[in-house]
Amino acid sequence: MSLKNLLGDWSKYRKGHEEGGFHKYEHMWGLAIDLNKCIGCNACSVACYAENNLAVVGKDKMLSNQGMHWLRIERYWDEPQLGGDDRDFQERGASFLPMMCQQCNAATCEPVCPVAATYHTPDGLNAQVYNRCIGSRYCSNNCPYRLRYFNFYSYYESSWPAPLHMQLNPDLSVRDKGVMEKCTFCVQRIRTAKDTARAENRKVIDGEFNTACAQSCPTKAITFGDMLNPDSAVSKKWKAQQVELGKAEQHKANRDLRGYRVLEGLNTDPKVLYLERVREV
Amino acid sequence: MDVQAEVPNAVPPVGEHKGDKVPQPIEFPHDIHADKNGINCMYCHTYARRSKVAGIPPTSKCMGCHTVIATDKPRIKQLTEYWEKHEPPQWNKVHDVPDFVHFTHEKHLRRFIFDNEGMDVSRASEVCAFCHGDIKKMTVANKVKPLNMGFCVRCHEKNGGPSDCWKCHK
Repeated sequence: MSLKNLLGDWSKYRKGHEEGGFHKYEHMWGLAIDLNKCIGCNACSVACYAENNLAVVGKDKMLSNQGMHWLRIERYWDEPQLGGDDRDFQERGASFLPMMCQQCNAATCEPVCPVAATYHTPDGLNAQVYNRCIGSRYCSNNCPYRLRYFNFYSYYESSWPAPLHMQLNPDLSVRDKGVMEKCTFCVQRIRTAKDTARAENRKVIDGEFNTACAQSCPTKAITFGDMLNPDSAVSKKWKAQQVELGKAEQHKANRDLRGYRVLEGLNTDPKVLYLERVREV
Repeated sequence: MDVQAEVPNAVPPVGEHKGDKVPQPIEFPHDIHADKNGINCMYCHTYARRSKVAGIPPTSKCMGCHTVIATDKPRIKQLTEYWEKHEPPQWNKVHDVPDFVHFTHEKHLRRFIFDNEGMDVSRASEVCAFCHGDIKKMTVANKVKPLNMGFCVRCHEKNGGPSDCWKCHK
């Protein structure tokens, strides 16, 4: 949260997204994830590790919740007592839910940062400035999605056994210990695309670039793009499913429509849309 | 030695720094090349105008001239040795910003030279001097500007650069 918001009208900041007042961005990057297409293969997760210089912490640290996977696949099984025996859903098996930072428009992590290391960019992204972070972990405690990861150990370039250090992404720093990190919607790719577009004196074209997860998804379940561009694939998907930003709850008359956002009721206004019919079991 | 370059539509950043001498395999005299012979900075640092990094010229670029010019000088003999061994001189970095800083030469040159009305490309060295000091007068390049966040931010404030953290931090 920037100092401007901190000193300005607090309630306007907190509630502003409902009136669209905080949507007057240059771009607003968003995702649509089709859960019917997701096969839980973890390709997105692996791509994220490779793209964002994420350290592989190993089994022990993973078990003690010290993993730093900016994108995780959550797996759910239908329990028999909750309708898992339902004939219609018997062959369904596990349900997968790729969870990355939801890039909330009213992010709960932002107002609690004591040093304003996390704030909203003019691109509508929830930014994290690593070298400003002091590691208080308030943001992590306030994130209802548990999608912020704390770097407990020092991983340097030498932490990757040779020759693996050669695949580190130079557009991104290798974060030191004691800072919070999270999914950035591959901001380095956004930055490059915007720079290229600016150099060529044009606007960023939809589909010109993708996040690493969307690019690597074998079933093309993940769509990334600019939500403010009405012709982009992602905003078309949101529109087709009649999901609107700035709403705490989506009421749909048509039962064929899909699309929900995780923990919508908390009014965090996430920019990640999951395409799956919400069914009561 | 704070040079106040007269670049139109630009307020040069302020701040000085006394950098240590960085030893180089060959003492490259910037003054002879850029000042005495008036070679534009971008002739050797080709990538500055189109990418993040300014770039170190390949030895072939040096040899382009030095197969005929000043071949009897000891430094040029040293250079020719490198060239014949197919080994580039291992130049040491003088201006180095931390890993978490995203700085593009291209954008800054665009703002201060190419998109800057009244600015002549032949005067590029005055813009380079904003952050690199008056390299034209130096022999071996030396760090004379702090290149820290305050230095950058003060210049951004005066010249209307972006103040969004994620523009420069990564």
